Amino acid sequence: MSGMRDRMNRLRGESGDKDKATLEPIPSSMEATASVLEEPEEEQLSPVWETFGVKLHRNEEGSFLMRRIVYPVDFRHGLHSLGELSEAAAGLTAFHPIDLISAEQILFLDLETTGLGVGAGNVPFMIGIGYMSKEQFVIEQTLIRHPAEERAMLVYMAEKFQHYAYLATYNGKTFDWPLVQNRFIMNGLSRKIWEPMQLDFLHPARSIWRNTLVSCRLSHVEEERLGIHRKDDVPGSLAPQLYFQYLATGDPSPLEGVFQHNETDMLSLACLAVRFGHLLSGNIEEYIPLPDEPEEMVRTGLWLERMDRNKLSERLFHMATEADDAKPSTLLMLAARDKKAGNWDRAVLLWQKAIIHSSSNYNSAANEASIELAMYYEHKVKDFESALGHANQAFEQAMTHSMLTKRDSKKRAELEALRNRITRLRRKQEKHIQ
Amino acid sequence: MNRFTGKTSGLEEWLEQVRQNTEIMDNVTHWRTLAPREARTAPLPDGLHHAWKEALRSRGISELYTHQAEAYRAARAGHHVVAVTPTASGKTLCYNLPVMQSLLENEEGRALYLFPTKALAQDQVAELQALADLMDVGIKTHTYDGDTPPTVRTAIRNAGHIVVTNPDMLHSAILPHHTKWVKLFENIKFIVIDEVHAYRGVFGSHVANVIRRLKRICKFYGSNPQFICASATIDNPQEHAERLIGEKVSLVDNNGAPMGEKHFVFYNPPVVNKQLGIRRSSVLETRKLAGLLLKQGVQTIVFARSRVRVELLLTYLQELIRDKINDKSIRGYRGGYLPKLRREIERGLRSGEIRGVVSTNALELGIDIGQLQACVLNGYPGTIASTWQQSGRAGRRQESSITFMVASSNPLDQYMIQNPDFFFNRPPERALIHPDNLLVLIDHVKCAAYELPFEVGDTFGSESLADMMEFLVEEKVLHKAGNRWFWMEQSFPAHNISLRSAAQENFVIIDNTSGSRVLGEVDRFSAPTLIHEEAIYIHEGVQYQVEKLDYPEKKAYVREVSVDYYTDANLAVELKVLYVDKERESGDLIRQYGELTVNAKPTIFKKIKLRTHENIGSGPIHLPEEELHTSGYWFSFSEEAAARKSKNEMQFALLGIANVLVHIAPLYLMCDPFDIRVVPQVKAVHTQKPTIYFYDRYPGGIGLSERLFEVHDDLIRQAKSLIRGCSCLSGCPACVGPIEEVGLLGKQQALELLNEAEGIR
Repeated sequence: MSGMRDRMNRLRGESGDKDKATLEPIPSSMEATASVLEEPEEEQLSPVWETFGVKLHRNEEGSFLMRRIVYPVDFRHGLHSLGELSEAAAGLTAFHPIDLISAEQILFLDLETTGLGVGAGNVPFMIGIGYMSKEQFVIEQTLIRHPAEERAMLVYMAEKFQHYAYLATYNGKTFDWPLVQNRFIMNGLSRKIWEPMQLDFLHPARSIWRNTLVSCRLSHVEEERLGIHRKDDVPGSLAPQLYFQYLATGDPSPLEGVFQHNETDMLSLACLAVRFGHLLSGNIEEYIPLPDEPEEMVRTGLWLERMDRNKLSERLFHMATEADDAKPSTLLMLAARDKKAGNWDRAVLLWQKAIIHSSSNYNSAANEASIELAMYYEHKVKDFESALGHANQAFEQAMTHSMLTKRDSKKRAELEALRNRITRLRRKQEKHIQ
Repeated sequence: MNRFTGKTSGLEEWLEQVRQNTEIMDNVTHWRTLAPREARTAPLPDGLHHAWKEALRSRGISELYTHQAEAYRAARAGHHVVAVTPTASGKTLCYNLPVMQSLLENEEGRALYLFPTKALAQDQVAELQALADLMDVGIKTHTYDGDTPPTVRTAIRNAGHIVVTNPDMLHSAILPHHTKWVKLFENIKFIVIDEVHAYRGVFGSHVANVIRRLKRICKFYGSNPQFICASATIDNPQEHAERLIGEKVSLVDNNGAPMGEKHFVFYNPPVVNKQLGIRRSSVLETRKLAGLLLKQGVQTIVFARSRVRVELLLTYLQELIRDKINDKSIRGYRGGYLPKLRREIERGLRSGEIRGVVSTNALELGIDIGQLQACVLNGYPGTIASTWQQSGRAGRRQESSITFMVASSNPLDQYMIQNPDFFFNRPPERALIHPDNLLVLIDHVKCAAYELPFEVGDTFGSESLADMMEFLVEEKVLHKAGNRWFWMEQSFPAHNISLRSAAQENFVIIDNTSGSRVLGEVDRFSAPTLIHEEAIYIHEGVQYQVEKLDYPEKKAYVREVSVDYYTDANLAVELKVLYVDKERESGDLIRQYGELTVNAKPTIFKKIKLRTHENIGSGPIHLPEEELHTSGYWFSFSEEAAARKSKNEMQFALLGIANVLVHIAPLYLMCDPFDIRVVPQVKAVHTQKPTIYFYDRYPGGIGLSERLFEVHDDLIRQAKSLIRGCSCLSGCPACVGPIEEVGLLGKQQALELLNEAEGIR
């Protein structure tokens, strides 16, 4: 064996000395595993597990560990209580407008995995699920003590899945769920175990908070918008290392933090469902605050429109239009929506506001707004004089700016397009006068 | 001949003119005419699906060439197949025929096609899709590579009947995500590997392991696909294919494609300085010959060995058409061009709009550019196999074609040009791979463990799997549970493992004289001695001094200077033989093959005055030592031989022999010249005798020096004949090396030593 190591070291051009450290007898994970496996059938789980509520679970495929926590519905996690889910669930129907969604049909899922990505070698060592049951919110977290326990865990999960129609996750569409499917395939289990309808809250979170929050990670969103403050949280990124540490030493204690982290994630996921459910039901202000920033107002409105729940949108758009502190880019975003919807009056107003809100400094938003106005006056109103005025303004802004910075090919193309527009407008104007 | 334009009416007439032209013929060392060959055909096989038959007929194919028919038979009989075909002989039908037939019989079936480059893959998809459309069947062919948009990837995974990709993509995207490809892997019937000869050396060793992984995944999904490989003409197609896929294969090599008469002309530029053995530039001579052909309106392809040469020749040849505005009839073609441009050039060549193209070996592979009439090789392409491939670009079925090979002054070129029989009578080189190189193997064992856990009793390559598993457990990437080993690491192993590495990591030379422009490239292994700081780097006759060498970033910054010296770096090479695997004796020579470590460190550089060669100063080089553990082969001369020469004389003799050997070694290997290294030692530590060492320039070795060990006698014979045959007086760059390096008597000393080894005194 050490023959292999010596040969590898030689090939890698590493001298033996450098590797002294790794050559020292390390607590071999092999031995640790062996000791776990050698535990007698009627094994006694290390008492450390008990201290954070982990128990052994057995089924026909073998055994794995399980931690089950039950929350009463009036438990408050940040701004929301879990019981609100019963009311808010109906709103989530907007995700899949077929049948009315009820809280009992939703399964929440969050994995802790050994790596990144959805490759075949990334293993979820912990599967957290949550669901409403008899006026309670139940969280079950399963853990495998080594990869050979995976099959038993998956079989348990497959049975659980059957009772639910919807899968609520944060990025589960592209991560958690494909990974679970991978594992079923890798373990030679049926491929079509469950075909849930997805409620992936990462996508709406990004749509709404992309520019207002620094990050759309769940831990950040919950802090900023759900009033949840974690204490002594083990960051999710550390989970794989802690699990490897456990595998190497057999000592469960580092995993307590991982269980807690996952538990909080599950609760936050439920609160996020409440949040979006309320929003889609139109229960704004009653349960959830109105957005403060015009950017978030517009983005929320746009998302609701996309979800076919535009009742609230108009109010949010109006608020944003009236707001004094709207950023020019926000105004342009709403103007683009109005242009598409044929709401020209407000679009013009927004473009004009965007120009005013852009300070004397060059601002690309002002430039864009001027061009939009030039187009509007040329094609919609056929007022070539006004159009020419806006086009000239845009051209001047662009020229001033391009003096200050390097002209790349894109900027040159923009300037060229503006020149063409101005020439055309002059021609049209002359023709019009004649 | 047309009296007004000076154009001849055809290639034949022009060739007659050339034969009368003493200015050209004086430099022609050999002119061989290969007789035309009639097509040998076989009827379309019985039982061929009627739609397939119709599609072939509408393409004008009513019978097959013998090799196509045989490949079909062998594939239908369930054998793994390797078909060996020269350029443009209807190679693709060898595999498309059985694959399409199988898909027509069972539309649930799937096939995977591997090509070494993206461009080849795209060609193939267009061809297959056109065939499917012609048959009006729903057989879908898709490329799956880095350019495939994410939106269509899912559709390809589920619905593509034929997935066309490259080994790199298979390695880093498909295999590690095999669970997304269930449909493909469960139903895969064929794996087609085209251009198998391209998978050699380190790259080939990696690819062989990727194929091991592929087979493992297929097995997991319960499929057992059949391999159909295609290769250019090499010495060992069957052995090579078998090593690559790890299965017995049937060899199909009865090429039945017709060929027109072919003229193969060896052209050696005239000597301009006999003392120094300097010949006229091969680039200028290539320009002359290609220019003559193009003026005659002969559609011509010019192959050059580097990108820089391609650009240089292109500039020269475009002067021919500079008066014609917008004339795009002479074009360049090489790796750095964008795919769209390359497609345009390929089309232009097929339609005949483009009359001349200057290319690197990028056009050597099976990209469809139709058949041209003439080919000019600027320098020997490096291997016999490549030479035939490149020359095969010229040659239409009914017409004559011509290939000029213009020799450069390097020893290998000079050897070839003076020994036409060697070229025409010898089988092409052997493709060598060493999939069980431990470093390569361990890399892929990691990837394989990521893809599927290993179980006690599994095998992967020739090393003990249990040992490798245990090692990886210690490295903390695997975890054993029960009788299986599981991947237990956060990383994605395929990302850190590149199939194509080593020699491709070149150093870029950036000229800062005015602004900054890229001047050229130097391979990684030459960098420490050629472009260390303060080195004088000579490029196209202009001197540059290296101001800064950014070793980690692989960049050297130079500035133009005018000085009266050049620099010469000392590389301290230490060789330690670890153990001897084989030993043999021939004559007075003892040769051994085994494992060794090489420590190389540049120490100092000397400034040497031009013309007088006085040493006018020196300086240190601060670069890290490189250690390499690899396999090597070495031979020593007897102590008696050593006693007859002074240490200095011995030094020159060994150096001269080494210089020749390193250049002719590629005659026996299909490798990059930098893959193999040679070091002469007057008194070697291991043997205590004058010794010449060869070693593989890749950790663990890839089988090159082992092959040289086997052909040693032949190698020495060729070396001697090269030195004897060289027209120089006392050594030149085309044989033992320039006088500055090997002394005034270097040539004689080298010959004496070689003779002595054979007992001639």
